[in-house]
Amino acid sequence: MKKGFMLLAMILTVVTAAAAFAAPPANTLAAIKKKGVLVAGVKDSLPPFGYVDEKTRTIVGYDIDFVRAIAKRLGVRVELKAVTSASRMPQLEEGNIDIIAATMTNTPERAKQIAFSDTYFRTGQAFITRKGMVHSLKDLAGKRIGTAKGSTSEQNVKAALPTATILSFDDYPQALLALEQGKVQAVTTDEAILAGILAKAPNRNQFEIPPFKISDEPYGLGMRKNDKQLVAFVNKTLLAMEKSGEAARIFDKWFGPRTPFGLHRTFKIVAGK
Amino acid sequence: MLSYHFDWSIILSGTYFDWLVSGLKVTLWLSASGILLSFLLGLCVAVMRMSHIAPVRWVAQLFLEVTRNTPLLVQIFFWYFGSYKLLPTDLNDWLNNHNFEFVAALAALTIYTSAFIAEDIRSGVLSIPKEQLEAARSAGFSYLRSMQYIILPQAVRITIPPLVNQFLNLAKNSSLAMTIGVMELTYQARQVESYTFKGFEAFTAATVVYLALSVVITFLVDQYNNRVLKLHKAS
Repeated sequence: MKKGFMLLAMILTVVTAAAAFAAPPANTLAAIKKKGVLVAGVKDSLPPFGYVDEKTRTIVGYDIDFVRAIAKRLGVRVELKAVTSASRMPQLEEGNIDIIAATMTNTPERAKQIAFSDTYFRTGQAFITRKGMVHSLKDLAGKRIGTAKGSTSEQNVKAALPTATILSFDDYPQALLALEQGKVQAVTTDEAILAGILAKAPNRNQFEIPPFKISDEPYGLGMRKNDKQLVAFVNKTLLAMEKSGEAARIFDKWFGPRTPFGLHRTFKIVAGK
Repeated sequence: MLSYHFDWSIILSGTYFDWLVSGLKVTLWLSASGILLSFLLGLCVAVMRMSHIAPVRWVAQLFLEVTRNTPLLVQIFFWYFGSYKLLPTDLNDWLNNHNFEFVAALAALTIYTSAFIAEDIRSGVLSIPKEQLEAARSAGFSYLRSMQYIILPQAVRITIPPLVNQFLNLAKNSSLAMTIGVMELTYQARQVESYTFKGFEAFTAATVVYLALSVVITFLVDQYNNRVLKLHKAS
């Protein structure tokens, strides 16, 4: 644990130091409009959220489409900067970027440092089960559930279903085989991974991912704590995108039934969440 | 990180200690029942392998070739996943609800090890002068009875050192059962690692336990060898 604390301490030091010495504009929204450019920190190797398209050599993805939609409503162009999970918050605090759109889960700890937009993507740990067998988490109580060794999925499912027997296999294909043979009643991990496994499974039409999750990962766009105007504008834009159906279209484009992920959108962008 | 901070306390008490102990129990059950069953099966196969009835010999030969020449991991997967197609649905359902992971792992370990044990016993039998068998047969013993009373008791004693090797292998090979979700010692050590990131401590503990287990097996077989078999010899 010591290693973890030290890392945390280092990150906190960097973040607080950055906050102390940074000179971001007082009103970012006005500054963006004046510069004519919105600088966004995005992931560049995490399909389909943000990755470099082989043909166009530009960064594309779910996160990027949201940034572009916001910039369009601002009437400015977009500049994308690749960030990592470790660098994105310091970069924002230093004023190198105006907004983070990089698969960032809105957690209480982070919300102390920065401001989050309303949730624009929601995921979490889900299950693959036989079609029509499982309707809620209660149906899995006392059942046998397969997952892969060493993953946080194993720990989450133990906490969520204390009465279930957890069988950890070496990898997910074996867990799926065990499900096919009735050795387990469900396979669990992050929904995006499950969707990927199911997409490749030979008899995938016998299985489904029931619409409930045991961990909640609400992704928010990150902005500086004092950028109230920008946060308000982004939230207004997200809500408008939800209303017009644009947000749902972006979801379908990257995760929908015609993609390898084949996910159904089970969330909506709601004000204040 | 250059320096690793050792923290033995987490695995010496509390939840993680309990996990390792529960893993050890499974390892002990798997090893003990595996040793017993593989010895018995090995004896049968060895006797079949030396039978004067040709088809019986062929069956034993086929069994030996198949089980000795395929990796144990593959055999574990075969008994766990592959048996699904061979068994009736009702039996599958029943097995799936009755700790089939353990049963499949035990079957694989037993069958795999029995092949080696059979060959060890056979070489022990071959080292007994064949006149003994002839004498036993002419004294009216059947083939099986002469094996039972005359040949095998001597052969097994000669075979003890290589048998200990097979028993030790079985005990250590039982760690492969974790690939199909049997929560034995190595599985639990890995579990502790993924919860605490204290892999060194967890696996050191597991290593010490395997070592102790091996020493105990060797000791027990030695005791048997010294006390029981030498008594037989003396009498």
